[in-house]
Amino acid sequence: MKKLSDVLLGRGEGHVGLAAGLWLGLYFGARAMLEMDGLSPWVRAAIALAPLPAFAWFLRDFIRSVSGADELERRIQLEALAVAFPLTLLLLMTLGLLQIAIDLNMDDWSYRHIWPFLYVFYFMGLMRARRRYQ
Amino acid sequence: MRNRLKVFRAERDWSQAQLAEALGVSRQTINAIETGKYDPSLPLAMQIARLAGQPVEALFFLDEGEQEAAKRSAP
Repeated sequence: MKKLSDVLLGRGEGHVGLAAGLWLGLYFGARAMLEMDGLSPWVRAAIALAPLPAFAWFLRDFIRSVSGADELERRIQLEALAVAFPLTLLLLMTLGLLQIAIDLNMDDWSYRHIWPFLYVFYFMGLMRARRRYQ
Repeated sequence: MRNRLKVFRAERDWSQAQLAEALGVSRQTINAIETGKYDPSLPLAMQIARLAGQPVEALFFLDEGEQEAAKRSAP
Protein backbone atom coordinates (compact mmCIF):
# COMPACT_ATOMS: atom_id res chain seq x y z
CA MET A 1 0.00 0.00 0.00
CA LYS A 2 1.22 3.45 -0.90
CA LYS A 3 2.25 5.78 1.93
CA LEU A 4 0.41 9.07 2.13
CA SER A 5 3.72 10.92 2.29
CA ASP A 6 4.62 9.39 -1.08
CA VAL A 7 1.38 10.71 -2.48
CA LEU A 8 1.96 14.13 -0.92
CA LEU A 9 5.45 14.30 -2.36
CA GLY A 10 4.18 13.24 -5.77
CA ARG A 11 5.85 9.82 -5.68
CA GLY A 12 2.65 7.92 -6.27
CA GLU A 13 -0.19 7.74 -8.74
CA GLY A 14 -2.25 10.28 -6.80
CA HIS A 15 -2.62 13.87 -7.79
CA VAL A 16 -2.01 15.40 -4.37
CA GLY A 17 1.58 16.32 -5.16
CA LEU A 18 0.59 17.75 -8.53
CA ALA A 19 -2.28 19.74 -7.02
CA ALA A 20 -0.02 21.05 -4.23
CA GLY A 21 2.62 22.04 -6.79
CA LEU A 22 0.06 23.85 -8.94
CA TRP A 23 -1.42 25.59 -5.92
CA LEU A 24 1.98 26.76 -4.63
CA GLY A 25 3.01 27.81 -8.15
CA LEU A 26 -0.15 29.88 -8.52
CA TYR A 27 0.29 31.31 -5.02
CA PHE A 28 3.84 32.51 -5.58
CA GLY A 29 2.94 33.65 -9.10
CA ALA A 30 0.07 35.68 -7.64
CA ARG A 31 2.37 37.17 -5.03
CA ALA A 32 4.86 38.21 -7.69
CA MET A 33 2.13 39.73 -9.86
CA LEU A 34 0.62 41.61 -6.93
CA GLU A 35 3.96 43.37 -6.43
CA MET A 36 3.47 45.03 -9.83
CA ASP A 37 2.08 48.54 -10.06
CA GLY A 38 -0.68 49.77 -12.33
CA LEU A 39 -3.17 46.93 -11.90
CA SER A 40 -6.79 47.80 -11.18
CA PRO A 41 -8.28 46.63 -7.85
CA TRP A 42 -10.53 44.13 -9.68
CA VAL A 43 -7.58 42.56 -11.49
CA ARG A 44 -5.60 42.46 -8.23
CA ALA A 45 -8.53 40.73 -6.49
CA ALA A 46 -8.82 38.22 -9.35
CA ILE A 47 -5.09 37.47 -9.13
CA ALA A 48 -5.33 37.06 -5.35
CA LEU A 49 -8.16 34.53 -5.75
CA ALA A 50 -6.53 32.61 -8.62
CA PRO A 51 -4.88 29.94 -6.39
CA LEU A 52 -8.22 28.96 -4.80
CA PRO A 53 -9.36 26.37 -7.43
CA ALA A 54 -5.98 24.63 -7.24
CA PHE A 55 -6.24 24.63 -3.45
CA ALA A 56 -9.73 23.10 -3.67
CA TRP A 57 -8.32 20.38 -5.93
CA PHE A 58 -5.45 19.77 -3.48
CA LEU A 59 -7.85 19.62 -0.53
CA ARG A 60 -10.18 17.15 -2.28
CA ASP A 61 -7.31 14.82 -3.22
CA PHE A 62 -5.70 15.14 0.21
CA ILE A 63 -8.94 14.14 1.95
CA ARG A 64 -9.35 11.22 -0.46
CA SER A 65 -5.78 10.12 0.22
CA VAL A 66 -6.35 10.16 3.97
CA SER A 67 -9.62 8.26 3.56
CA GLY A 68 -7.89 5.65 1.40
CA ALA A 69 -4.88 5.25 3.70
CA ASP A 70 -4.58 2.30 6.07
CA GLU A 71 -5.34 2.67 9.79
CA LEU A 72 -1.76 3.27 10.94
CA GLU A 73 -1.25 5.96 8.30
CA ARG A 74 -4.46 7.67 9.43
CA ARG A 75 -3.18 7.54 13.02
CA ILE A 76 0.11 9.10 11.89
CA GLN A 77 -1.76 11.87 10.06
CA LEU A 78 -3.90 12.53 13.12
CA GLU A 79 -0.81 12.79 15.34
CA ALA A 80 0.85 15.13 12.83
CA LEU A 81 -2.20 17.40 12.87
CA ALA A 82 -2.39 17.11 16.67
CA VAL A 83 1.08 18.67 16.76
CA ALA A 84 0.49 21.25 14.00
CA PHE A 85 -2.84 22.58 15.25
CA PRO A 86 -1.88 23.63 18.82
CA LEU A 87 1.51 24.92 17.68
CA THR A 88 -0.20 27.11 15.08
CA LEU A 89 -2.65 28.33 17.72
CA LEU A 90 0.27 29.08 20.03
CA LEU A 91 2.09 31.01 17.31
CA LEU A 92 -0.98 33.07 16.42
CA MET A 93 -1.79 33.76 20.06
CA THR A 94 1.79 34.81 20.83
CA LEU A 95 1.95 37.07 17.79
CA GLY A 96 -1.40 38.58 18.79
CA LEU A 97 -0.08 39.39 22.24
CA LEU A 98 3.21 40.68 20.85
CA GLN A 99 1.27 42.91 18.49
CA ILE A 100 -0.33 44.54 21.53
CA ALA A 101 2.93 44.64 23.47
CA ILE A 102 5.23 46.04 20.81
CA ASP A 103 4.85 47.49 17.35
CA LEU A 104 5.22 44.43 15.11
CA ASN A 105 6.12 45.26 11.54
CA MET A 106 3.25 43.81 9.47
CA ASP A 107 5.57 43.53 6.46
CA ASP A 108 7.37 40.80 8.40
CA TRP A 109 4.52 39.22 10.35
CA SER A 110 1.43 39.41 8.16
CA TYR A 111 -0.68 36.35 7.21
CA ARG A 112 1.41 35.75 4.11
CA HIS A 113 4.40 35.01 6.33
CA ILE A 114 2.59 33.03 9.01
CA TRP A 115 0.74 30.33 7.04
CA PRO A 116 3.90 28.45 5.94
CA PHE A 117 4.58 27.78 9.62
CA LEU A 118 1.53 25.51 9.65
CA TYR A 119 3.27 23.34 7.05
CA VAL A 120 6.48 23.35 9.04
CA PHE A 121 4.60 22.26 12.17
CA TYR A 122 2.67 19.61 10.19
CA PHE A 123 5.86 18.08 8.77
CA MET A 124 7.49 18.21 12.22
CA GLY A 125 4.52 16.27 13.61
CA LEU A 126 4.59 13.89 10.65
CA MET A 127 8.28 13.07 11.15
CA ARG A 128 7.76 12.59 14.90
CA ALA A 129 4.79 10.24 14.39
CA ARG A 130 6.49 8.31 11.59
CA ARG A 131 9.62 7.79 13.70
CA ARG A 132 7.45 6.59 16.58
CA TYR A 133 5.91 3.76 14.54
CA GLN A 134 9.02 2.77 12.61
CA MET B 1 -1.11 -5.55 24.27
CA ARG B 2 1.14 -8.32 23.03
CA ASN B 3 0.76 -10.54 20.01
CA ARG B 4 2.03 -13.65 18.26
CA LEU B 5 1.92 -12.16 14.80
CA LYS B 6 5.60 -12.73 14.12
CA VAL B 7 5.29 -16.39 15.14
CA PHE B 8 2.22 -16.81 12.94
CA ARG B 9 4.08 -15.26 10.02
CA ALA B 10 7.18 -17.40 10.60
CA GLU B 11 5.08 -20.59 10.71
CA ARG B 12 3.81 -19.83 7.23
CA ASP B 13 7.11 -18.41 6.01
CA TRP B 14 5.44 -15.17 5.01
CA SER B 15 7.24 -11.87 4.73
CA GLN B 16 5.79 -8.72 6.30
CA ALA B 17 5.10 -7.45 2.79
CA GLN B 18 3.14 -10.60 1.87
CA LEU B 19 1.02 -10.38 5.01
CA ALA B 20 0.49 -6.66 4.45
CA GLU B 21 -0.62 -7.35 0.88
CA ALA B 22 -3.07 -10.02 2.06
CA LEU B 23 -4.56 -7.64 4.61
CA GLY B 24 -4.55 -4.52 2.44
CA VAL B 25 -2.35 -2.53 4.80
CA SER B 26 1.20 -1.19 4.59
CA ARG B 27 4.28 -3.19 5.59
CA GLN B 28 4.95 -0.47 8.14
CA THR B 29 1.64 -1.33 9.82
CA ILE B 30 2.58 -5.00 10.14
CA ASN B 31 5.99 -4.07 11.51
CA ALA B 32 4.48 -1.63 14.04
CA ILE B 33 2.03 -4.30 15.24
CA GLU B 34 4.75 -6.95 15.55
CA THR B 35 7.02 -4.68 17.54
CA GLY B 36 4.16 -3.67 19.83
CA LYS B 37 4.27 -0.02 18.82
CA TYR B 38 0.76 -0.07 17.43
CA ASP B 39 -2.32 -2.00 18.51
CA PRO B 40 -4.52 -2.87 15.52
CA SER B 41 -8.17 -1.98 15.39
CA LEU B 42 -10.63 -4.76 16.19
CA PRO B 43 -11.61 -5.24 12.51
CA LEU B 44 -7.94 -5.59 11.50
CA ALA B 45 -7.22 -7.96 14.41
CA MET B 46 -10.21 -10.07 13.32
CA GLN B 47 -9.01 -10.06 9.72
CA ILE B 48 -5.59 -11.30 10.87
CA ALA B 49 -7.21 -13.98 13.04
CA ARG B 50 -9.37 -15.13 10.15
CA LEU B 51 -6.30 -15.36 7.93
CA ALA B 52 -4.52 -17.35 10.64
CA GLY B 53 -7.54 -19.59 11.21
CA GLN B 54 -7.32 -18.89 14.93
CA PRO B 55 -9.41 -16.95 17.45
CA VAL B 56 -8.36 -13.34 18.01
CA GLU B 57 -7.32 -14.04 21.60
CA ALA B 58 -4.85 -16.70 20.41
CA LEU B 59 -2.97 -14.02 18.49
CA PHE B 60 -3.52 -10.93 20.62
CA PHE B 61 -3.49 -10.90 24.39
CA LEU B 62 -3.03 -8.52 27.29
CA ASP B 63 0.28 -8.46 29.13
CA GLU B 64 0.35 -9.03 32.89
CA GLY B 65 -0.01 -5.38 33.85
CA GLU B 66 -2.97 -4.91 31.54
CA GLN B 67 -4.60 -8.09 32.85
CA GLU B 68 -4.24 -6.85 36.42
CA ALA B 69 -5.71 -3.47 35.45
CA ALA B 70 -8.60 -5.22 33.69
CA LYS B 71 -9.28 -7.33 36.79
CA ARG B 72 -9.22 -4.26 39.05
CA SER B 73 -11.64 -2.33 36.87
CA ALA B 74 -14.05 -5.28 36.48
CA PRO B 75 -17.41 -4.67 38.23
